[in-house]
Amino acid sequence: MKGKSTFILLLFSMLFSLSVRAQEIDVSGKVTSKDGLPIPGVSVLIQGTKIGVATNQNGEFRIKVPKAGTVLVFSQIGMATQTFAINSNEPINVVLTDTENELEQVVVVGYGTQKKSIVTGAISQVKASDLENMPVMRIEQSLQGRTAGLTITTSSGQPGDGATLRIRGTTSINNSDALYIVDGVQVGGGIDYLNQSDIESIEVLKDAASAAIYGARAANGVVIVTTKKGTRSGKMSVNYNTYLGTQAPARKLDLLNATQYATLYNEAEFAANPNVAAPRFPNPSQYGVGTDWQSAIFNNSAKIQNHELSLSGGGEKSIYYSSFGYFDQDGIVASDNSQYKRFTARFNSEHQITKAIKFGQTIGYTRTNSVGVSTNTEYGSPLNRAINIDPLTPIVETDPAKYNLPLYTGNPVVRNSQGLPYGISSYAQSEILNPIAALAVAQGKGWSDKVVGNAFVEVEPIKGLKIRSQGGVDLAFWGNEGFTPIYFLNSINQTTITSYNRNSNRGLFWSLENTISYNKAIEKHNFTVLLGYSAQKNKGETNGGSKDGIPVNNLKDASLQFPVSRTNDVFYGGEYLNTLNSMFARLTYDYNEKYLFTGIVRRDGSSRFGPNNKYGYFPSGSVGWIASKESFFPQNKVVTFLKFRGSYGITGNDNIGDFRYLSTVSGGRNYTLGTSAGLNNGVSPDALSNPDLRWEETSSTDIGLDATLFGNFTITADWYHKKTSGMLLQIAVPGYVGNSGPIGNIADLSNKGFELELGYNKRIGEFSFKVAANGSFLTNNIDFLGDDKEFLGGQTVTPQGLEVTRTVIGHAIGSFYGYRSNGLFQNQAEINNYKNAGGALVQPNAKPGDIKFIDLNGDGLISDNDREIIGDPTPDFTYGFTINAAYKGFDFVMLGQGVAGNQVFNALRRFDLPTANYTTAILDRWRGEGTSNVTPRLTLQDDNKNYSRVSSLFLEDGSYFRIKTLQIGYSLPTKLVSKAGLNKLRFYVMANNLVTFTKYTGYDPEIGGGSYGVDRGFYPQARTFFAGLNVGF
Amino acid sequence: MKNKYIKCTIAIVAIMQIFVSCKKDFLELTPKGTALEDNFYKNETEVMQGIISVYDVMQWGTTGGYTMKMPLLSAASDDTWAGGSNASDQPNWVAFDNFNMDSRIGPQGGLWNKNFTGINRANLILSKIENATTLSVPFKTRVTAEAKFLRAYFYFDLVRLFGRVPLIITVLPTADLYNQAQSTPAQIYAQIEKDLREAYPGLPPTISATEKGRISMGAAKAQLGKVLLYQNDNAKLAEAITLFEDINKVGNVYGYNLMPVYADIFNPANKFNTESILEIPHSNNAAWGDWGWINGGEGNVGTQFIGMDSYNGDTYSSGWGFCPVTLDLVNALKTDPRFSATIIDGTALKAGGATYNARYQNTDYFIKKYAPLKAYRSASGVAEQNWPINEIEIRLADTYLMQAEALVKTGTNPTRAKELLDAVRGRVGLGSIAVTLDNIYNERRLELATEGHRFFDLVRTGKAVTVLGTVGFKANKSEYLPIPQTEIDITKGIIKQNPGYN
Repeated sequence: MKGKSTFILLLFSMLFSLSVRAQEIDVSGKVTSKDGLPIPGVSVLIQGTKIGVATNQNGEFRIKVPKAGTVLVFSQIGMATQTFAINSNEPINVVLTDTENELEQVVVVGYGTQKKSIVTGAISQVKASDLENMPVMRIEQSLQGRTAGLTITTSSGQPGDGATLRIRGTTSINNSDALYIVDGVQVGGGIDYLNQSDIESIEVLKDAASAAIYGARAANGVVIVTTKKGTRSGKMSVNYNTYLGTQAPARKLDLLNATQYATLYNEAEFAANPNVAAPRFPNPSQYGVGTDWQSAIFNNSAKIQNHELSLSGGGEKSIYYSSFGYFDQDGIVASDNSQYKRFTARFNSEHQITKAIKFGQTIGYTRTNSVGVSTNTEYGSPLNRAINIDPLTPIVETDPAKYNLPLYTGNPVVRNSQGLPYGISSYAQSEILNPIAALAVAQGKGWSDKVVGNAFVEVEPIKGLKIRSQGGVDLAFWGNEGFTPIYFLNSINQTTITSYNRNSNRGLFWSLENTISYNKAIEKHNFTVLLGYSAQKNKGETNGGSKDGIPVNNLKDASLQFPVSRTNDVFYGGEYLNTLNSMFARLTYDYNEKYLFTGIVRRDGSSRFGPNNKYGYFPSGSVGWIASKESFFPQNKVVTFLKFRGSYGITGNDNIGDFRYLSTVSGGRNYTLGTSAGLNNGVSPDALSNPDLRWEETSSTDIGLDATLFGNFTITADWYHKKTSGMLLQIAVPGYVGNSGPIGNIADLSNKGFELELGYNKRIGEFSFKVAANGSFLTNNIDFLGDDKEFLGGQTVTPQGLEVTRTVIGHAIGSFYGYRSNGLFQNQAEINNYKNAGGALVQPNAKPGDIKFIDLNGDGLISDNDREIIGDPTPDFTYGFTINAAYKGFDFVMLGQGVAGNQVFNALRRFDLPTANYTTAILDRWRGEGTSNVTPRLTLQDDNKNYSRVSSLFLEDGSYFRIKTLQIGYSLPTKLVSKAGLNKLRFYVMANNLVTFTKYTGYDPEIGGGSYGVDRGFYPQARTFFAGLNVGF
Repeated sequence: MKNKYIKCTIAIVAIMQIFVSCKKDFLELTPKGTALEDNFYKNETEVMQGIISVYDVMQWGTTGGYTMKMPLLSAASDDTWAGGSNASDQPNWVAFDNFNMDSRIGPQGGLWNKNFTGINRANLILSKIENATTLSVPFKTRVTAEAKFLRAYFYFDLVRLFGRVPLIITVLPTADLYNQAQSTPAQIYAQIEKDLREAYPGLPPTISATEKGRISMGAAKAQLGKVLLYQNDNAKLAEAITLFEDINKVGNVYGYNLMPVYADIFNPANKFNTESILEIPHSNNAAWGDWGWINGGEGNVGTQFIGMDSYNGDTYSSGWGFCPVTLDLVNALKTDPRFSATIIDGTALKAGGATYNARYQNTDYFIKKYAPLKAYRSASGVAEQNWPINEIEIRLADTYLMQAEALVKTGTNPTRAKELLDAVRGRVGLGSIAVTLDNIYNERRLELATEGHRFFDLVRTGKAVTVLGTVGFKANKSEYLPIPQTEIDITKGIIKQNPGYN
């Protein structure tokens, strides 16, 4: 039904755009600065349209406007925009002044907008103008480096993969994902489905005072995205943006070549057994350089392309915006297996049905197709394999003497297109296989279809009173399929039967929101009252199945329709359901835009909360004072605007899972009965129920100021303290209760931070530039984990499950945990001198060249109890800056971004596998007294556990600074392009991730996702070079 | 014109009303595809699955560390040592063996949790049966009786192991989770007796072949007799004697008879034999393999424990070398016809060409009853976790000796007492001896060696200090295990530590 109505609306939109043109006026004039100097290159636009011209060298312009009363907009970077109503063809003179401040702009605050100057909460904004001409792969990335208080860490460089986005730190030990609201609709699964040029603005609600309007969903912060709606220009404007690019890895690791590998293996073997009869590799030099596995895996010219076409316009009654987008990216790792394609379409429109009734809708449709590889795991990701496999094995076995061996002829080995078998390593162990061969048998793909839209009716029966009813939908279908042929990669990695699995999922989210707002000014008192009611439901299901033994050998031919035996035919499914029901109110008051107050209260009831806590109240209050508006504020040219803000509020995190307050029962509590021993199924409750279960709660205090200095230098500073309480953990109950405790609201943590955003803009003649910089300090601390717990486990490495991170009271969440090394034992005397109080050796198994571990607990021996927090994967300081400059038709932008104070755990090498390859850093290992105090000796018999104890040895500084974007563009003069019927033609070249400054030795220090801060062969972000084109009709 | 706005406003307000008014149901959802405690147990099948989960706990051996009663209590007694690869292999066992447990080291945590889990499950099923309307009377009677028996069974272990424990006979409401205080042994015994007296009339005298392993009336009576005897209160013995007589008499309704050949009792081929009264079944049906939750399987891990480490030879399968038999027990049984059925002579096996590793506290003598046998090693799942070898907790020779003991203590019917003692000895070809308490106790040691009774027998007869004092047993302390420290911490001291462990 929605589709049909959209279609009709679209037709209407088209009709409205064809309004009649009459009574044109030819206007000319001149634009000057305050000093009377002409300003060239000023954009002169007919308001609400993209029709316009630019001033010439003498600051002069000439333009035809449709009718009397038309308003011309004069704008220039770094100057305050001016408007001028045209009533005759008399020449006009316009004086542009430097921008006073950005504070006259409007920000979206959730269920409404507010003038930026009177906002009392902490809100960061990214506008269309910041995003235009600045391609990002995913919308979230456009926030990186641009907004203070956000830590964005890419999950991987794989096309289509997301980022770990944290607003003012990690708010929960459970789910810390922000709430995404697109055009008033909550969307699941991130916002990568959006087409970049559709976005009008992105607001990030950072403090509780702003976010409280979203109550129980807002504790992790809120990201509000508003899409473009069109303009009342009377003319359709068509824009086409495109770019093509080529991507390459920015860095390759220096791994040992074949000769080095064999030599060092022999050394390790000898160290373990000096009596070894013959070394494993008697003549290392015979292997030469060997295979460069990284080159085989990486693509140095992976393509990327993007096309966006948008149509927008409208008239007095209706406005519309439609767009189509296509994005296609190949990955730099295993390009054939790592791809992402996205098609988007959008239809937005608004219609003034009568003077008082407005109707509108937005609909975005997105289709994605993707294939992917594992991105950061030691268990079979292509990069981890390429790093760890020996360089002796060839990618493809070309030696007939070898490929005619029974190993190759007697097994279903994997072959390349020439029919030659991929090399099978005789040395690599475990998951370390020939990565190229393994990719050939990993066949899978994913897809998604998503429709997000809303429709609203707004009635304004009397001025200032708006009654609005809005329905929103996020309907998503997604799925994936995978096929495993019969293959032999080596004797422990082989299949004897084909296997095909496929699943499809459907998620439907709908919401209905009704609001009444009333806005009234009584003398200098300005009030806005908002009351709202909201209901939403989120449900979905999974259906999937697999069939083993289907008679095909590739994914393309695989089907679930093949008949197979019952035991090879598996079907599975699942479903979820939750509802939220809310009421909310907001009062905004200001006196003369000088004293500001906003109060919010929201009541959320959720199906996820236990019966004793079905409803939660989330209040917040914020105040502001614009000191510079006081009569006693000294008139000066230094501080032209000064505002102080303070807020406090409470928000919740309802991402606690469905029905967890209930006690479920499960089987498997069986008992054997009968002389012939039959198994009888027993069922009992899994845990106690917890009717008190509720949201996780975050209270947050924010104190901030906004100031403008010298008219063109802006400062926004915020200090905040967020305390999260009642994070879900299993409640400890006495053993006599006889069952596990339920999930309950137990743990507490806090985040404290300081943020600064600076802006500066300046214009000197035809040269203008703008700088925006931001920085954020953040500390995270675990305050409480329950009476029974001092820590929670975290990430582990290697199949032995060595702990790498822990969440410990008094430290940041997921901190690195391990032993501390104190250099290496240089000689036996040092080992002998490392004694405990009883005179015994602390490390009796050590040999010279082994790590000297610090006996942290002082018990005289090295054990698990000598571990402590040794680092933190989360940066203490995050910063970024953007420089924009323009001169005549040229424009330049540079975005730099960085972090400091974090560590990365380097788990690139599989230290549990003696035959794993090394980086050339190992060449500086300890080889005798004084040769190294950092890299331990090589030995196959690691009695000292140099490599099986997680220690500070593996931690590296994760700080980095990156030139994220560098772009130079040139716009052809309007005069010239207008001859071709265009109003804009711009070319640009751009580089992404051009340079990264870091001490980290892996591919990429920015490691997000599930293996946060632990590098297991992380799929790095690409260095990309683009050429792009923007055309406007 | 104005009119139109008003209509429109009314319409929108009306729409809002609809959604406001339906909000109550809107939030009250029930999950699909998941069984909940609240809506399960609604028919006989589901209640049966509930009672099975109570039985399940009987076969647990690894709650919070290894706690298989038979080998663990043998290690605590003078029958065997703890053993294992070294003193730190199972420190909890070694601590029990040497009576140097403290509130954190010792087998108490596992035994506490195991038995209270059984009690919780029994309490739950009793509360569910109470409210169920769809159960037939015979079904309801039998399952209720089973649940009460099982609750009494777990409490009997608790009261013997810990003395004072919280007495919980309902499903605890949330408000009462942390405020349960300990009851006296007398109060707990009273509840155990009550449960067993209520249980046995509802149980069948015999169990069909397909249900073997469920509790019979004979088992409940034997358990009640044992409970009465263990309280060392002569006033309770008349009832015990009646119960035992009902079980032990020739032609008893339960079909109990001594097995003619002593060794046959413990042969895994003879499951649920005529001498077996209370038997805990094990199987490899679960084909289990989760080392993190061995309880989820059905195998007898005790079997794996007592086997000879890295054994290579005939008959037996390899085990982990726990519970080497003390030379004290070896000497006591040396000339006894039951020796070969009770103890494996490692030296003799070695002489025959077998090999095994000597482990901690090795004596070269190993437990033979329920030892790992090659022929029974599981081919499914992890073999170590899936030994399909049942354990007999109460057997007829035991109830003979218990009845004889009660008769002697009360000075009634010495003839019957002698008859019972002679029957036990006669089965293995031993002659009659005087019916004295000491002779009965000695007979218990030899007849029931390594079956897990010895430690409790030493404690209840007051011989523990004499026999075990040299290895660390202290009077008025070592009779009971320490209360797990976590219980004291989490109840903020409402649960009190046992004497001597503070």
